[in-house]
Amino acid sequence: MAASPNARVNLEHSSVLLIDDNPKSLDMLSSIFQGFGVKEQIKCESAVEAAEIVKRRPIDLILVDCSMPEMDGYDFTRWLRRETPAPTRHIPVIMLTGHAARSNVHKSRDCGASFVVAKPLTPTVLLRRIIWLGGDEREFVECESYVGPDRRVRNFGPPLGEPGRRAGDLSTHVGEPAEANMDQSDIDMMMKPMRVAL
Amino acid sequence: MSEVRTTKIKSSLARQLSRPGGRTIADAERLADAGLESHRADIIEDLGRLIGQLETLCATRADTGQERVYVLAAALVDMAGFFDTGPLYAAGYSLCELSDRMRPPAAFSWPAVEVHVKALRLIHAGGCKAGAESDVLLQGLKSVLSAFTA
Repeated sequence: MAASPNARVNLEHSSVLLIDDNPKSLDMLSSIFQGFGVKEQIKCESAVEAAEIVKRRPIDLILVDCSMPEMDGYDFTRWLRRETPAPTRHIPVIMLTGHAARSNVHKSRDCGASFVVAKPLTPTVLLRRIIWLGGDEREFVECESYVGPDRRVRNFGPPLGEPGRRAGDLSTHVGEPAEANMDQSDIDMMMKPMRVAL
Repeated sequence: MSEVRTTKIKSSLARQLSRPGGRTIADAERLADAGLESHRADIIEDLGRLIGQLETLCATRADTGQERVYVLAAALVDMAGFFDTGPLYAAGYSLCELSDRMRPPAAFSWPAVEVHVKALRLIHAGGCKAGAESDVLLQGLKSVLSAFTA
């Protein structure tokens, strides 16, 4: 989806679940999503309460804070990905983090969040991530050690020949033609069905 | 090796986003910024209160307060991270990193915490604005942090 400022984004009919144990953070997130045009926001101060909600009703997007008492954002996402049926387990999850403690680095990588967004948070960055998720073509992976969107995100990277390209980067570069262009008649021959005498 | 299953998913979010209507990205960002900004004064006041709690911990230096330093610093970073609080966010993050590195069995240093809390108070009192003074403070915190291995 284009990210031009004049491009349109429609979140009016989306149900967004916001989970944060700090009521003020919830209010700020709510103000941001109101600005994005989301009319249905469900605010939860605990992941346990949020788990009950996702069991009962459809949700389009979940935003969850990583650190919460009782059940944190990592455990909630892991539960969602592993313990709920489709399509609930496929709901896009954006995890918000402030400081990532060393003990949580692996939990963050393995929990199955669609995106981890580190603070400082700006509405611009958040909206870009949401739009990106709208066009997310990653496959959903399920195996013993991981359930969630494919963690390998491929992108175009810098142009060919520029520093910083990685082996897996995609490319729009089509290269030099290997042979002469086909005639239109050759192309027609390939497209048109013809009667064959046997 | 365990079995791996992959599925192509089209989320309901993708369907919602592609519906006609809605608002322009520029409008959505502007309205969200304005909504967020309405909380700023309240949050800056709350950040002052969190720094006050850290000051109390430093004054008592109780063993039970060591884990609490990380909890308060993380709460400060969480709240400050909604706005451009520049040096305050950086100083808070440095305190999170410091208290994370000082978890047992590493030794806990109250003076290192204190210097962070004092810097936080100065930056907060200065309106969380970046400048030469805050640069010097952050540089000092960086030196303190570097003494504790990651």
